[in-house]
Amino acid sequence: MTKLTRRTLLGTMGAAAAASVVSTIPAMAAERTIRHFWWGNPERDKRTFAAIDLFQKHHAGIKVSGETIGWKDYWTKMATQTAGRNMADLIQMDYRYLFEYVHRGALKPLDEYIGKSLMVGDFDPGPLAGGKVDGKLYGLNIGSNSQVLVYNTKVFADAGITADVINWTREDFPKICEKITSATGGKMKGSDDLSTSVDIMQVWVRQNGREFYDADGKVTATAADIESFWQYWAEMRKAGIIAGKDRTVVINPPLGESGIVTGGTAISQFWSNQIVGIQALMKDRIGAAMFPHKKGGPYGQYIKPAMFMSLTRDVKDVDAAIAYMNDWVNDPETTKALGLERGIPCSPKAREALKPSLSDTEKDAVAFFDAIQTRVGQLPLPEPKGAGEVYELFTRSASEVVLDKIKPAEAAGRFIEDAQDIIDRAR
Amino acid sequence: MRRFFTRNAPGYLFLSPWLIGFFLLTLGPILASLYFSFTRYDMVSAPRWIGWDNYVYMFTRDRRFWKALNVTFSYVALAVPARLAMALCVAMLLDKGLRTIGLYRAIFYLPSLLGSSIAIAILWRQLFAGDGAVNAVLSFFGIQGPSWITDPQTSLYTLVVLAMWQFGSPMLIFLAGLRSIPRDLYEAAEIDGTSRWRQFTRITLPLLAPVIFFNLVLQTIEAFKTFSSAFIISHGNGAPADSLLFYTVYLFNEAFSFFRMGYASALAWVLLVIIATFTGIAFLSSKYWVHYENERD
Repeated sequence: MTKLTRRTLLGTMGAAAAASVVSTIPAMAAERTIRHFWWGNPERDKRTFAAIDLFQKHHAGIKVSGETIGWKDYWTKMATQTAGRNMADLIQMDYRYLFEYVHRGALKPLDEYIGKSLMVGDFDPGPLAGGKVDGKLYGLNIGSNSQVLVYNTKVFADAGITADVINWTREDFPKICEKITSATGGKMKGSDDLSTSVDIMQVWVRQNGREFYDADGKVTATAADIESFWQYWAEMRKAGIIAGKDRTVVINPPLGESGIVTGGTAISQFWSNQIVGIQALMKDRIGAAMFPHKKGGPYGQYIKPAMFMSLTRDVKDVDAAIAYMNDWVNDPETTKALGLERGIPCSPKAREALKPSLSDTEKDAVAFFDAIQTRVGQLPLPEPKGAGEVYELFTRSASEVVLDKIKPAEAAGRFIEDAQDIIDRAR
Repeated sequence: MRRFFTRNAPGYLFLSPWLIGFFLLTLGPILASLYFSFTRYDMVSAPRWIGWDNYVYMFTRDRRFWKALNVTFSYVALAVPARLAMALCVAMLLDKGLRTIGLYRAIFYLPSLLGSSIAIAILWRQLFAGDGAVNAVLSFFGIQGPSWITDPQTSLYTLVVLAMWQFGSPMLIFLAGLRSIPRDLYEAAEIDGTSRWRQFTRITLPLLAPVIFFNLVLQTIEAFKTFSSAFIISHGNGAPADSLLFYTVYLFNEAFSFFRMGYASALAWVLLVIIATFTGIAFLSSKYWVHYENERD
């Protein structure tokens, strides 16, 4: 009886399990579909869905399902989907994460489609090569960008500031912040406190003539680099001419909460492709500036692929996915819909086609891009595994300095040590 | 066989949603995580067996692990007594036999239903921001409040207050417990001229001990597991300056931000041991302070 009982029990359970599994299998879709997942903002999402509509119009029978989310949650969701072998067919990739994802085997190379279904023959070779890992193309460049300080032109004019924001120096910057703060009676500070910004720290280190990592993944930035960087901002913080600490220690706020958009400060830091998105959130006209350089030294900034589109390991319909990719960078209507929101396209044809229809903000973005061409340095080497965690460590250490929990010198020494530790552990 | 079907099968059938859920979605992942805790697993490539390395690293080299423990223990030590005290106070107020008691019970229970939701956490962040509602009220009294959430000195307390506010479920249990205390004890005390406070310490508390014990265990476990509110309020990474680095937030970050699922699994098992230890201590200590009415000495 017991034997029978157990067997029947298992049978019942098995049947029940089977029934529940069967019911969850979705009705088989008759049409071809591709999933495209990107991190976005309202402006980008609008443009991307417009591009999707165009593709669906041109390719009857292929449905594109677009999924979008903010930058920070994007990578969490991506990690989960990667683990669950449920990645979208096409994903937006970042230079920072490209190598990690390739080395983990989550992406597929595009080389076999190039020249057949993916036409990139006339693209600028430099920016295109930015998507290569170990000699194979894993990321299709869908726009280039560079670090940018976005400033409020109205506030600058009201305060009588006429600085050359491309050629200004580290010494000019605090003076200008001071001027803005006093011109507005302290209601608006000169700048956001960028001591927690990894991007600006990296520029600072490069201005000092070093890269953050060398080719073997050794941290080559020195404690002195980091200390001087934090000291620079600490002095301005003490003078009360940059955003207060409670604004600074909020990590990764959405665009809408940055100082320039809320009106708390006149200068915030972004990537140049974000200019269009920022302007969409603001009434005052904005301008683009380089990060102030060290007198007589290099500017430290660089132009990098802003975003890639990558084909994932979990892709179902490769042909449809590649067709979509190809339209993205080559179809004139699509490139026009996308504009410069993701950065400067690396197809000369797309750039030329965009010219007549550029908005004023986009023209500014292009002008900024042209102005920095001769001043930027080399693209840094691909970052080692664990670099993402080093970024987090940096913002965390920087906020401890901002909160006066630790002196810049001590924090800098510890940061460099811990950063190397993280890289070694990730190997 | 036929008898089995007629007698037991319907039972198992009705149980099957839970059974399937338990084996597939609970027991399976639990066992998998035990295995992963001994591996290096980045969620994309296959896990690699590394023995006790994760645990050794955790206890010997990981400063953030200790920081996370510190934050979590502080929170548990503050939030659990605060919430229980709040729950007991409200329960005693409601035990006065009001006619509209049902309505009040529902109203007071509402925050616990909303409490774990994302919206409340976001609301909380706004309330305690530098220019939030709390400071607006304080400034009315001439007090210049700090930016509660972004100041590491005060950020944890905002979460303790949030925990206090979600007193609903222990309150309901206390209320039931209070109802079961025989009225004649109070009447006798009343006749003897015993003060209210003495009635509380000599009658209410001892007779409520089993209920307090039950709530204490449940709430402690709950507090150790706090995640969503801390995650939202700290922007997902324990900011400012790791002052909101709850154990679960740290675990989540290790797993999903830094791709260390193996290490995160080890963290999860250590948390399980910690919770089990605390529950065990509570049970062992209970024989000294929890008395059941129907027990004979």
